[in-house]
Amino acid sequence: MNWLSNKLSAGPSNESPSWQWFYRLGSPRWFYLRSGQWLPWLSLAALLVLATGLVWGLAFAPEDAKQGNSFRIIYIHVPAAFLAQSGYFIMAIAGAIGLIWKMKISYMVMKAAAPIGALLTFVALFTGAVWGKPTWGAYWVWDARITSMLILLFLYAGVMALQYAYHSVDAASKASAILALVGTVNIPIINKSVDWWYTLHQPATIKLTSAPSMHMDMFMPLLVMIVGFYLFYAVALILHTRNEILRRERKTSWVRELVTAKAGG
Amino acid sequence: MYFDNFAALINMDGHGVYVWTSVAVTLATMLWLVIAPLISQRGLLKEVSRDIQRQQDRELAAKKTSNHEESH
Repeated sequence: MNWLSNKLSAGPSNESPSWQWFYRLGSPRWFYLRSGQWLPWLSLAALLVLATGLVWGLAFAPEDAKQGNSFRIIYIHVPAAFLAQSGYFIMAIAGAIGLIWKMKISYMVMKAAAPIGALLTFVALFTGAVWGKPTWGAYWVWDARITSMLILLFLYAGVMALQYAYHSVDAASKASAILALVGTVNIPIINKSVDWWYTLHQPATIKLTSAPSMHMDMFMPLLVMIVGFYLFYAVALILHTRNEILRRERKTSWVRELVTAKAGG
Repeated sequence: MYFDNFAALINMDGHGVYVWTSVAVTLATMLWLVIAPLISQRGLLKEVSRDIQRQQDRELAAKKTSNHEESH
């Protein structure tokens, strides 16, 4: 692994003045202070939207003609699976930005995204298994969709593990970013698995290119839940990123000033 | 409501156990994703204020000894 870390740590650092604004945008201090202002509103929005979608989906939506009430698991299973995949893209893109522009904050976002994505993947797998029992008669089958989601979980775990495999934070960030980028190949496989292979898993309920395969009374609460999960994801990502900022910048003067100001005021 | 009463909502024609287990595990996981960073943030902020306190104590002690030396 030595050749890799050597190669990875030898990046160019030619910061031209025209890019200064870009670096300021990625300043951990700026992000920490701004996100503190966004958090209460985002959290409130997430809570309201999730509560609405959950009550609507669980208590008011009509039941499925074939699956009965077990189909209601869709209202958490599909949003969780959505965010597990979107979260992977966010993590990989943050890693790419870190590799290309050496932006500190984006590596922190990447690190923060890994455990959130891993847990959402776990939720998608768990709710899928519980849904599978009454629907297919089995908690687990090794079909393409489920197996590729399990690989997603391992990819998240790999990114998390690599963060601790290096002494240098910089080398760990770069190695994680590369793994995250390579792993993106799994995302289209997850998406297409239900079309490419004969799977027990049902085909996609929602596609960007066509009308939903669901009645509107069932579809609307699902849409609300997906929006709610995106809002929740934003809250969780900001919280984890702020922590990572504090952890890495705790010796800097701005963090000290912040803590002193808080204690004084 | 789609169901006739609260008991029917809980039971969901026998599927309630699957639906509510999924909901409980999902909500617990989501709650954890929000609470865990808040707990460790508190710890980090405490650590920073301890660092500041320690530095102030050191500076104070240094001042005292230098004052002491001057008076001699």
